[in-house]
Amino acid sequence: MNSLFSQLAVLGSSLTLIFGLMLLWHRSVHAYTTAFAWQSVVLAGIVAVVAYFERDPELYFVAAMLLWLKAWFIPRLLRRMEEPLGAEQELQPYVNTATSLLISGLLVLFAYAVCRPLVALSHLPTRAGMPLALGLIFVSLFVIASRKKALTQVIGFLMLENGIALLAVLGTYGIPLVVEIGVFLDLLLGFMVMQLFVYRIHETFESIDVEQLGRLRH
Amino acid sequence: MSGWLVEFFQIVFALALAPGLVGLIRWIKARLQSRLGAPPWQPYRELGKLFHKEAVVSKNASWIFRFAPYAVSASTLAIAFLVPVLVVPRRLDMVGDLFVVVYLLLLGTFWLALAGLDPGSAFGGMGSSREVTVAALAEPTTATAIFSLALGAGSTNLGAIVVAALNDPWTVLTPGHLLAFAALFIVAIAETGRLPVDNPSTHLELTMIHEAMILEYSGRYLALLEWASWLKLFVFLSLLANLFFPWGIATTLTPGALSWAIVTLLVKLALLAVVIAVMETRVAKLRLFRVPELLTASFVLALLAITSSFLLR
Repeated sequence: MNSLFSQLAVLGSSLTLIFGLMLLWHRSVHAYTTAFAWQSVVLAGIVAVVAYFERDPELYFVAAMLLWLKAWFIPRLLRRMEEPLGAEQELQPYVNTATSLLISGLLVLFAYAVCRPLVALSHLPTRAGMPLALGLIFVSLFVIASRKKALTQVIGFLMLENGIALLAVLGTYGIPLVVEIGVFLDLLLGFMVMQLFVYRIHETFESIDVEQLGRLRH
Repeated sequence: MSGWLVEFFQIVFALALAPGLVGLIRWIKARLQSRLGAPPWQPYRELGKLFHKEAVVSKNASWIFRFAPYAVSASTLAIAFLVPVLVVPRRLDMVGDLFVVVYLLLLGTFWLALAGLDPGSAFGGMGSSREVTVAALAEPTTATAIFSLALGAGSTNLGAIVVAALNDPWTVLTPGHLLAFAALFIVAIAETGRLPVDNPSTHLELTMIHEAMILEYSGRYLALLEWASWLKLFVFLSLLANLFFPWGIATTLTPGALSWAIVTLLVKLALLAVVIAVMETRVAKLRLFRVPELLTASFVLALLAITSSFLLR
């Protein structure tokens, strides 16, 4: 039974990581949004699996919140942003696609290396997924650092948040509900502020390329 | 004795079924695109026709041009001897493991690329250069993906990997397996020239890869090359089917187990054919410079697969 639990946890974590890697391979905002929505669905699934095996009803609530907020509400807002802004594709990132895929592979290897003592100490059946969650965090940070369009960076940030939530669920079986709700609110507000910024950048420069922000210095 | 007989039967089975598999994929694709389509046994007729036709060889072509079809089909046939199709472990498992399979694949590609260059036509050279680009990126992924399964099984022998997966059905759900499956699927598509990488249904297109190399061939040479490429598809699909979903494959030589293995293999191949046909209907061909990116993605998947199966043992 326990082995089924750990298998499902690791399976879910690798799926979230693959959805994170899709950000590096695709170029259109539409594909990014789809990847983010599916990643959030998988994340909610992992939370529900943990809730089932640990008999923790609070986590079911968290899973439902995740589904509503990250798999439905935020993707809907992102879809709405696609119309005025989505025509701009990520054509020339700072690092090209093939190299960034290889770099993210190395980042996941690095995450495995960093996690080794953590995994060795832990006795949780979900411990095998922790390096993958950390890998997702690294890959999202890399996306934020290597992509030029503001919208891509926002989705990278959202995936970073997903990675942190995944690590919390796998490592501690979820943080208290009050904190969780606070995180959700933070995320929602943060996303709205970022949305506002993206629109302002678009208005000022007729583009969401963050390289343009360099012109603000004058 | 009966072991060798079954071995021989497996090869005949693979050779006989390979054109049918391609025909089936074409037929499903035609149906999905609401065309009537040629019947699934059309490739057999094509083979029959080509074997009866005269082979025209350019006077600029050297012996390489005439030898290549035999080299390509021989290397593909040799792979079919090593890959688990109906029965594991195979008699020839002691002859070669997954590395032999990978290098035999590369040997066929090498001769095909030479044959494309040999008559000196512009298309052939282009096709060869592209094929070698794809092969150079796909070959390490094939080895790495299968190797991540080998780590779990403790042997690089393809038959032993299948037996290990049969003994412990839960390993099929491990992330190492799933990532390796995704990586190997992408590589199989690239190696057999299916849609996002190469369009198998065009004959004259500027971006073709496989067709460009065999453009100069006719008659029995063309028939051999086509048959070899279909056999390659068959071998890759049965490798995918048996390495990742090994249920049903025979471990004893009883007639019951064998017939059950044939039925399950046919079902698995038909399912994979449907998957490929649906995918080929949905996606467009990638631009050529995007192909290396796709193959890099599959290499990263294989790398992650090997990492997780190495570190999570």
